[in-house]
Parts: sequence; structure tokens; C-alpha cells
Amino acid sequence: MKRRLVPSNDKLQLDMTPMIDCTFQLIIFFMLQLKIIQPEGDFNINMPPPGAPGPAIGAILPEIKVTLKSNPDGSLAALMLGQRNLGNSPKVYGLLNEEILQIIGRPGDPATKDTEVEIDIDYKLHFKHVVSTVSACSGKLDKKGRLVRYIEKIKFTPPRKPSE
Amino acid sequence: MARRPQSSSPTSCEIDMTPMIDIVFQLITFFMFTMSFEEIQADERVKLPLDVLAKPPEVKQKHAVVMNIGFLRNVKGERLDPEPLLFNFGSGQKIRPLEASKYMEQEARLYRLRKVELEDVTIKIRADQEVASGIVQEVIKQCQDAGFSKFAISAVADTSK
Repeated sequence: MKRRLVPSNDKLQLDMTPMIDCTFQLIIFFMLQLKIIQPEGDFNINMPPPGAPGPAIGAILPEIKVTLKSNPDGSLAALMLGQRNLGNSPKVYGLLNEEILQIIGRPGDPATKDTEVEIDIDYKLHFKHVVSTVSACSGKLDKKGRLVRYIEKIKFTPPRKPSE
Repeated sequence: MARRPQSSSPTSCEIDMTPMIDIVFQLITFFMFTMSFEEIQADERVKLPLDVLAKPPEVKQKHAVVMNIGFLRNVKGERLDPEPLLFNFGSGQKIRPLEASKYMEQEARLYRLRKVELEDVTIKIRADQEVASGIVQEVIKQCQDAGFSKFAISAVADTSK
């Protein structure tokens, strides 16, 4: 008697286990490598070594001097633009920003491009106040979020240790 | 004659693995694209000041020395040592910011050996928001004494405003 061959219904099954093992290992590797970092930005500070030539002779405006006075706990006691005390409220940086704009007249003006700001800082002052001051002198964001640069050259005075 | 009850099917219950594999591959792709092999010298112990103008630079600094000035803190963020330290710098040991000059001289020597002008090297200062500004000024002065003249101070982009 002739035997009839019945076609099998079984599919050819691939063993997925090693692939899944590998992919999970890869995921774990990449997850451990992931570092969540907040976006950071930099403010350029121009600090030539002592003895280097000073500000450009052709500069139309004199150097702008900003003084930051500190309380003993490191908080801001006063922010002074030249001899004028602008106070120490949270709005003081906005005020400084407006004053700087008044001094330079128009942002990007070639006549005021070389204007320099020197920041005189009390030794104990918390660094965040310095960054806010540098930012207020540097410029402002316009409505579209683009930077309108006021001053490009910012420098610090040499450190002055508090008298014991 | 009593009929034998039908035996259960020998085929096992199969789970469709396709959606899981899809998601797993998507995750792998995401992590691969977000991964950076670039050596990051930033230190998470330094709590940078926030500022609206702090935007990541469009052009990467070619030569930069990163100086992380911060405090040793506990899990709650309280300071363990009132004096700041330089992290990820020099020999990796506890270095006080006022003792950085010999390391800066080493860095300057290394750049000179590589024929890189020190004027082209940016000293990137990542200082904690509560560090005394005088300490930062002292670090800048030590860098100046070593021959560096280009500095940048770092802040975190403040997106809340």
C-alpha cells in the first residue's frame, strides 16, 4: 500500500532568546551611559596678564566700572555703576542692563564696540551675583530669543582679600 | 464503550514577541543617538548659577581647560566642608583652588609642548553659585600667572523665564 505524505503544519521556529538577551544587554549598556546634563552656556571674560597693554586708545567711551559690595554672608549689599548705587533688589540686574544700554546708545554700534566693563567684586560675594552682573552687561534677549549684545569686553579686578 | 476524554493539545501558548522587539529596538536607537563618547569634564557636584543668556556655544572651543570649583555636599545638598575644592583636576586628589598654580603651570607646559599658543586656550570656570567670588578671582590670577589669558565662566540656561 502506498503511504500518503501529509504536509506538516508546523512552522520553522527561530529561537529568539539569544537575540532578546543581546538587545537587553545593549539597552542596559546605553542606559548606564546616559547622562542627563542641563544645557550650559559660557560668558567670555577678557583677562590679559598683568603688564599687557590696556584698553584701546581709540575707544570713544571710557571704561565702565561696576562695583559689587557684599554682606558678610555673601549676599549682595549694593551694586554700583560708577559712583551711583543701584541697590540690591532682585531687579537691580535689569536696572543695570538698562543703564548699560543708555551708555552705549545702540547695540552693535561700531563706536561703542570696544567699550570695556570692569567689575570690582568683594571677596566674599557669592559667585551667582557676579554671573548675573556679567549677564546684565553682556546684553539682552530680544522677543525672538536672540541675544542682543551690549558689551563684549568684560574683565574683573584682581582679588582683594578682606582685611581680617 | 466509554470514550476517552480528548487529550489537551500539545502545542504551547505562543506570545507574539513583535511589539516588544519593536519597542526594544526603538529604545536602543534612542540611547544610541543620545549617547556621547565625548569626554565630559563637568562635575555634577558643582551647582552652577542660572542665567537666561547662558546658551550652549555654537562653535566648540578648540582647546579648553575646565576648572570645577565647588563644595563637597551630602545627599540633601548641605555643605560638608565650608571650603571649596577643585574637582576633576590635576591628580584627582582634593585640591584647594588656591593651590592650583602648580597644576596650571603643568597645563601650560603641556600646551607649549603641543605647540599650542596659550592665547588660544580657554580656561572654562565652572564655579558653584555659592563659591566666594574672591576664590574665582584667585584661580583666574593663578591661570594668568601661568600664561593663560582667555577665560569663560559657565552658567546653566534658565528656561523658566
